Amino acid sequence: MKSANLLMPHMATILDITEETPDIKTLRVVGKEGLPFDFMPGQCAMLSVPPVGEAIFSITSSPTCRECLEFSIKDVGSVSGALHCLVPGQQIGIRGPYGNGFPVDEMKGKDLLFIGGGIGLAPLRSLIGYCFDHRQDFGHIDIVYGARSPADMIRKSEVRETWREQPDTSVYLTVDAEFPDWDGNVGFVPNYVSELAFTPENRIAITCGPPIMIKFVLQALDKLQFSPEQVITTLEMRMKCGVGKCGRCNLGPVYVCKDGPVFSLAELNELPAEY
Amino acid sequence: MAEHNLEQIEKIREAVKQDLLGGRIDLLLGWEKGHYWWQSRPLFAQSEEDLEKLAWDSFCAVNLSRYLLEELKEHNKVGVLVKGCDARAFNRLLQDNMVPRDRVILYGLPCPGMLDYDRLAAEAGSVLLSITEENGQVVLITAEGEAKADRDEMLLDKCRGCIYPDPAVYDQMLLPPQGEKESPERFKKVEELEAMSAQERFAYWEKELSRCLRCYACRQACPYCSCRECFVEQENPRWQGRAYQPSENFMFHLIRAYHGAGRCIDCGECERSCPVGISLQELNRKLIKDINELYGDYEAGLDAELEPPLLTYRPDDPAAFSEK
Amino acid sequence: MKKIIAREKLPELWAHLSEQGPLFLPIQDGPVVLFQPWFEGAEINLDAVNSAVSPKDLFLPREETFMHYRCSGKQLEMTPVEPGEPVTAFGVHPCDLKAIELLDRVFLGQEPPDALYQQRRENTTVIALSCSAADPFCFCGDFGVDPADAPGADIMAHLSDDSMLFESRTEKGAALLEQAGDLLADAPEETFSREAVQTADFNLQLEGLAENLKDRFDDPAWDQLYKSCLGCGVCTYVCPTCYCFDVEDFGHEAEGERFRCWDSCMYGHFTEMAGGHNPRPERKERVRQRFLHKLQYYPEIHDEIACVGCGRCLRSCPVNLDIVQAIKALGGEKIEKR
Repeated sequence: MKSANLLMPHMATILDITEETPDIKTLRVVGKEGLPFDFMPGQCAMLSVPPVGEAIFSITSSPTCRECLEFSIKDVGSVSGALHCLVPGQQIGIRGPYGNGFPVDEMKGKDLLFIGGGIGLAPLRSLIGYCFDHRQDFGHIDIVYGARSPADMIRKSEVRETWREQPDTSVYLTVDAEFPDWDGNVGFVPNYVSELAFTPENRIAITCGPPIMIKFVLQALDKLQFSPEQVITTLEMRMKCGVGKCGRCNLGPVYVCKDGPVFSLAELNELPAEY
Repeated sequence: MAEHNLEQIEKIREAVKQDLLGGRIDLLLGWEKGHYWWQSRPLFAQSEEDLEKLAWDSFCAVNLSRYLLEELKEHNKVGVLVKGCDARAFNRLLQDNMVPRDRVILYGLPCPGMLDYDRLAAEAGSVLLSITEENGQVVLITAEGEAKADRDEMLLDKCRGCIYPDPAVYDQMLLPPQGEKESPERFKKVEELEAMSAQERFAYWEKELSRCLRCYACRQACPYCSCRECFVEQENPRWQGRAYQPSENFMFHLIRAYHGAGRCIDCGECERSCPVGISLQELNRKLIKDINELYGDYEAGLDAELEPPLLTYRPDDPAAFSEK
Repeated sequence: MKKIIAREKLPELWAHLSEQGPLFLPIQDGPVVLFQPWFEGAEINLDAVNSAVSPKDLFLPREETFMHYRCSGKQLEMTPVEPGEPVTAFGVHPCDLKAIELLDRVFLGQEPPDALYQQRRENTTVIALSCSAADPFCFCGDFGVDPADAPGADIMAHLSDDSMLFESRTEKGAALLEQAGDLLADAPEETFSREAVQTADFNLQLEGLAENLKDRFDDPAWDQLYKSCLGCGVCTYVCPTCYCFDVEDFGHEAEGERFRCWDSCMYGHFTEMAGGHNPRPERKERVRQRFLHKLQYYPEIHDEIACVGCGRCLRSCPVNLDIVQAIKALGGEKIEKR
């Protein structure tokens, strides 16, 4: 049987573009007919802009959103830079979904603690949206989100308003330094997590952010007695194929693009720390 | 191994051992044998035990000076064994401000010219067991017996045009120097290429470079390629694509060669390292020849005080590009 | 089916085969031998022990365009490019064919299968050639390769001083031999008896190596092993079992193509992310990755070491840092029993 070329993108169109922060934009993307593909929270997609090329991004919309896929993209490289220059109506290439996604079944019945930093909220947001749309499946939801400044927060209206209005949900915001008109917490995310003193009983912590933040968040959670099995993170690596063949995103024998990007800390502890 | 050679190694080892154990250097860069007698690999010696592995013979082709770039990050003082080309490579790095002179001890070795195993094996016909050397000849020892070959004919390509087998710079010469060599053939291939028509020459290089795998061994082995970030890897703007197109092949090799104009020490490590045998040394030698003709004889790496011609300006410099 | 041809008639066979489609065989190109398409006047070198670069190129080309794109205004048009016509590979040695089978596990066996690779694999008829000689770097014996036989071939060929014998192993192979008609004579009883090819014995202990390496990620041996590495990609590009690739565009805003090409884990930018973070920033991590991939990670997934003992890294590494040295440094050397 002839299989399809894995590397061949499908056509997608940019519906609109929102400027989140000075260097982050959110692109809403549709396929030829609605969603380009079904997916689970935590999965990723390859976006391409010829002649610049292709890069992998996490999907930030919830699978329960059936209108389009959303990507919050920070302008750090050539493809992300090219995506930032596009306008609504522009066609791009898309392929996916890639990766394992968050273990939503294992999370059922548990309290969830989301800890995000900066653009790291993007993959968490997909799961957060999913949880809100399956609210009865999950316990209390805590969301700790931090950024360098209030202006660097993405999804401002959601993190400040919409999410707080959800049932049985608490949102804690923090920024690195004092800013005028900022009435939330001031301080780094890991310290804030420690101060909030979350208890590990029946709770799963899901974290994503810059590597340095994750490092200290893991230490903070360890101090709060979270076991490695209760801590989940999602990794970002350079990827080219998305299906575990091109060879660059491995941690030992595990390929982040297909076996990840979501890992529990227990799983990561068993792998070379090459991320 | 011949007595003579063992004596030489002993002499080298004694000299560097004092310095290594006495703390004058923290690391010695030398050579050790590989799986076979005709293979050598770099040795990073830090102890007396390491020094036991030290080798010096007709197969120590690897230019060691380049390793200073990395090793000086880790060690305060590094000693390095230098042949003629390794010493010129050191001067090259010195001129590029890539190595501090006072943290390196150079131990000079006169280079007899390194032998090419493939040539020896082909000449031997059957399985080559070992060789000995005497009076400019190589004795090839096989199960069937012995045969002799002219040593000069058995040299690596890179050693054939060598004029300066003795180190131009050293702190201590470990063995007696052997003096400059004549090399009437150094620019012979370049002259042949110059005699071609532009179309023929383009076709020649297009074919040569069509084999290029873009493995960048030439660049990685090269003492003039010491840029912290090569234009090849620059992302923004992106100069070098990865397509195996003639334009991309030429882009890489010509930009590299021109970056080495007046800086190439003609060690030939590029060509020796190339897994598909591209005649890269000719590209560099063409530029050496042109520079000699345009700006007067200049031998890169011989004198670190002498500025490369393309890095200086004199009012009477020829304006060759605009004249043509 | 067994067929035979006089050696001096081989050029006629090649000319005939190349009429059916591209015929790749070991051709002398400058100082090296490479698998290239046959052309009139090509200098075929069947006596070469190994081509400088492995024939994996036939299935995983060093560059392969798989898409054309056109952009105009907001419109983007992407058209797939299918791999080309059926080809014949002539003179693939058993070690190299074994390596292709190791690549099969990644590109065909591991879900999802790779269509580009699959099409090339299906489109290629492999005429394997038993080895008449080994050079000092050939150590395929350590990996269960028989220099006289390549089980995965469509046709197994043997060369003698004056003739070449073909034995079909698959329907595809039989069809090719049939199709050559009178160029080949029947050789039902013909066999070539000759001395077994002696490969190098580096005294390696490969059994249990993958398992032992699991505890050696932080072994001090790595601190020494990587030092001589220049950080070039020679070993990965000449290697028959290295398969890492990159995907890039070639063209301009209005139109161009997307291709996949070889890449190398020895390069810093291989894993460098936009923004500069690099999970394998130094040569040490990269050297470790390459050797552990072959000796531990691949075996963990596919139950076999990803090396076939072709000897190319031993031959081509400019500083003689090769897989045998790595295996020995990591406890893979037999300890002599006294």
